[in-house]
Amino acid sequence: MARSGRRPTIFNLSLQPQFEHLLSELETNEVSGVSVVIRAIYDGDEHQKFMECLNARIKSHDKDIERMCNFHYQGFIDSIRELLQVRTQAQKLNGEVVHLDEELQKSATRVISKGEELVQARRVESNIASAIDSLTICLPVLSTYAKLQRQMVDKRYYPALKTLEQLEHLYLPRVANYQFAQQMRDSIPKLRENIKDASMSDLKDFLENIRKFSPKIGEVAMRHTAEQMGGDPGIIGGKKKRSAPPPPNPFTGKVEIDEEDDDEEEDLCAQDLIDFSPVYRCLHIFSVLGSRDTFETYYRQQRKQQARLVLQPPTNMHESLEGYRTYIHGIVGFLVTEDHLLNTGNGLVSRSYLDELWGMALSKIVNALRTHSAYCTDATLMLKIKNLIMLFLTTLQNYGYPVNQLLELLTEIRDHYNEVLMQRWVQVFREMLDEECFLPLEVETQEEYDSVLSSFPFHDEALEVAPFPKVLPFSSMVPKVYQQVKEFIYACLKFSEDLHLSQGEVDDMIRKSTNLLLTRTFSGCLTSIFRKPSLALLQVVQIIIDTGYLENATVFLEEFVSNMTGSNRSDGHLTLRSQGQSAMFRVARDDAEHQICDKLRGKVSEFLELENYDWLLVEPKGHASSFVTDLIAFLQSTFLSFTNLPDEVAQQACCAACEHIANSIMGLMLSDDVKQISMGALQQINLDTIQCEQFAASEPVPGSEEGVLLRYFADLRQLLDLFMTWDWPTYFHDYGQENSKYQLVNPTTAINLLEKLREADKRTMFSVLKKSERDKKKLLETVLKQLRQLAQTQQQQQSQPQLAPSTQLPQQQQQLQAPVQ
Amino acid sequence: MAKTYDYLFKLLLIGDSGVGKTCVLFRFSEDAFNTSFISTIGIDFKIRTIELDGKKIKLQIWDTAGQERFRTITTAYYRGAMGIMLVYDITNEKSFENIKNWIRNIEENASADVEKMLLGNKCELSEKRQVSRERGEALAIEYGIKFMETSAKASINVEEAFYTLARDIKAKTEKKLKEASNPPKGGHQLKPAEPQRKPTNWLSRCSLL
Repeated sequence: MARSGRRPTIFNLSLQPQFEHLLSELETNEVSGVSVVIRAIYDGDEHQKFMECLNARIKSHDKDIERMCNFHYQGFIDSIRELLQVRTQAQKLNGEVVHLDEELQKSATRVISKGEELVQARRVESNIASAIDSLTICLPVLSTYAKLQRQMVDKRYYPALKTLEQLEHLYLPRVANYQFAQQMRDSIPKLRENIKDASMSDLKDFLENIRKFSPKIGEVAMRHTAEQMGGDPGIIGGKKKRSAPPPPNPFTGKVEIDEEDDDEEEDLCAQDLIDFSPVYRCLHIFSVLGSRDTFETYYRQQRKQQARLVLQPPTNMHESLEGYRTYIHGIVGFLVTEDHLLNTGNGLVSRSYLDELWGMALSKIVNALRTHSAYCTDATLMLKIKNLIMLFLTTLQNYGYPVNQLLELLTEIRDHYNEVLMQRWVQVFREMLDEECFLPLEVETQEEYDSVLSSFPFHDEALEVAPFPKVLPFSSMVPKVYQQVKEFIYACLKFSEDLHLSQGEVDDMIRKSTNLLLTRTFSGCLTSIFRKPSLALLQVVQIIIDTGYLENATVFLEEFVSNMTGSNRSDGHLTLRSQGQSAMFRVARDDAEHQICDKLRGKVSEFLELENYDWLLVEPKGHASSFVTDLIAFLQSTFLSFTNLPDEVAQQACCAACEHIANSIMGLMLSDDVKQISMGALQQINLDTIQCEQFAASEPVPGSEEGVLLRYFADLRQLLDLFMTWDWPTYFHDYGQENSKYQLVNPTTAINLLEKLREADKRTMFSVLKKSERDKKKLLETVLKQLRQLAQTQQQQQSQPQLAPSTQLPQQQQQLQAPVQ
Repeated sequence: MAKTYDYLFKLLLIGDSGVGKTCVLFRFSEDAFNTSFISTIGIDFKIRTIELDGKKIKLQIWDTAGQERFRTITTAYYRGAMGIMLVYDITNEKSFENIKNWIRNIEENASADVEKMLLGNKCELSEKRQVSRERGEALAIEYGIKFMETSAKASINVEEAFYTLARDIKAKTEKKLKEASNPPKGGHQLKPAEPQRKPTNWLSRCSLL
């Protein structure tokens, strides 16, 4: 611009400045300014001038351009030359570049392929990494699953269940999108079910096992109890009661369990014999699986069934202790197991369930034991059973079961035991009595004497100083029986040991059984001895004497019982008892006395069998018949041996004998078999009767009242006297009067005899010739007639007792008296 | 009235304690055997009726206690006995030896014409035998009496023994009766123990009327 400015100066020296300005305006301004400039030009009239100025200007510019071109031309040529030069160089360069490019291209191909490879490798690498990542996630799942499988195989169901849990909640969600995970997920319920089933089958095995092992457990538990009890001096001491009664139940449980713990250290505890883990496991598993109730129900039901089986006693249980033992061991085992589960089973076995079960069991046990023990007839076995039950009871008590009912059962069994004892003693007594010869005991030496006195309380001053051999008043039965009764008491006591009964109870029981033993058992045995035909009269006598001594010894038995039971009964009680015992021998003695009388009568009858009367004897032999003499001799020697008998017994026996003789002789005469009796035969009978009367009057046994024995012969005597003296007037005269000499002679009896006499007389035909005989015969007829009247009156009198017969008698007497004289 | 028997024989069993007298008697009277030993006290008897040659014979057999302490009682019965069984135990030498003493006892106490017989009892116990049959026979011959070995238990010869003794007594009795039928019966007539009572005399007078 600067240039332009100068130019006008050059060209427009002549031109006006205004143009100059317009031109510069044109040159500088833009198109819009053109119009303004044109306007300015057209506004003036100088557009010619302007044209010239403008041309001038154009020419100036052209000259400028020319000059500029000239100035730059050389440079231009140079440049072109240079450019040409550059062109070749450029071409060269271009070749080089192309070559280079080619080379580059060539070398780059490998790089590129490598690069591609690299990229590939990188990709693989990343793939691998991601695969590893995935696998790390999956692997625990799989291993857990494997573990689960293994645990299943190993039957470790509870861990398996845990693993399953883990698998389900921890691992599987992480790998949810895998198919195997899905499969696993699907199989989980099935696995659970499997576990359930498997643990259930384990439980079943367990139940089976426990059923098998129960007896063993029971045995061990009972052995422990036995050891515990054995350790207790109270048990060994026997007589002494335990220092303290067992504490009440709720507390007992604890205490005993402590002891149990001690035991466990020494020996395996009963319940340790069994592996309870299946139950726990099963319980856990089922609780985890949420079906604990089902399990509980199942378990309890199963156990109840088992209980029922266990409580079913073996059919032949009563035969041996082994049966009882098996039965009881089974029960104890069962209950110990349940108790253990009560404590450890986390509520599987509840108190109420156990109580119910026990209640059911107890009644069954009691029933079974009652039934079976009732069959038992062996006292030793019963004792063993009792000990077993006692041990059973203690064991159960230790485990906290209430056992009162069993104690009651034991009391029942004790009663049965006593019965069995009685049975045994029946045998003992029977054998003893069978071997007994019922002779007064004879001792040769001091030792023998001492041994008898040591076994039987007896003291006799006279015997003490008597020389050997000494004869004791009683037979060997007495000390033996006494000893046996003592042994019976021992045996009775044996059962009561450890029963925790009060002394009073034991005392009462023993007294009762002893009483029974003597009243029933012993008396029974004696009675059966009496029935023996081979038992001689004197042996019966000895038995009576013996029972007397036994009776006296009951006081000592009382003392013995008191000592044994340790009870101190008042004296009043003692005497009361001994009276009772005296009464209990009474039975045996009464029987013995009857036996004496019976045997005596029997012997008398045997003698009378030998009777050989000639009923038509003309003249009596002048002495008693031989069978009567023998009889009397026999009776005399027999009664001699009665001296040791209580007087009344001897008297009674004697009376029985006399009565029997009198009745028998009377019977002989009046017998229908005897059709006729001669006076001679009657006289012979009179002789025999006299012989008997003499014996009766001789006081054959001491202490009998004067004339008591003779009284038995009284009616026989009166009858014989009447016939011997022919004293009919007196008879008729005094008939019916209290003081009549022949008060006891019945008219009918007299008729009977008189008729037989008449029959006998008929035989002696020749007698009719004699007058005296005829008179006699006549008299006989008269007497007979009167007697018949009398008999008739008597009969009427019996129907009308008020009528007195004596009114018609005096006149008859008048008639009678004459012929007699 | 029909007679219940024709003869009454009183027999006596003697011998040591335990030889089985009671058992022999028991076998004969009851045809039974009792194993348990009950020693006889004092004296006892059994009656059995047998029939010999159509005669009814009542045997009243007295069983005595063998034990020494009853000797006084038992010897009293020797007098009335018509036959005596001497019993010993073949398994017990002592009881056999004692037979001599028993015979002496008989001689002292029994009537002179008593029939005797020797019995060796318990002959079923042959394995325990101590006394041979020959010795028994020899002893019987020595005393001029009959001999038998018996067993109450096995029921051997018991019947036979009693029948034999009874037959001998019967023979003797019948012989005596025959002798007595010629001269009037003169045997023992009055016993010392004859009752002396007033009514008797008075009465016999009465009957003589």
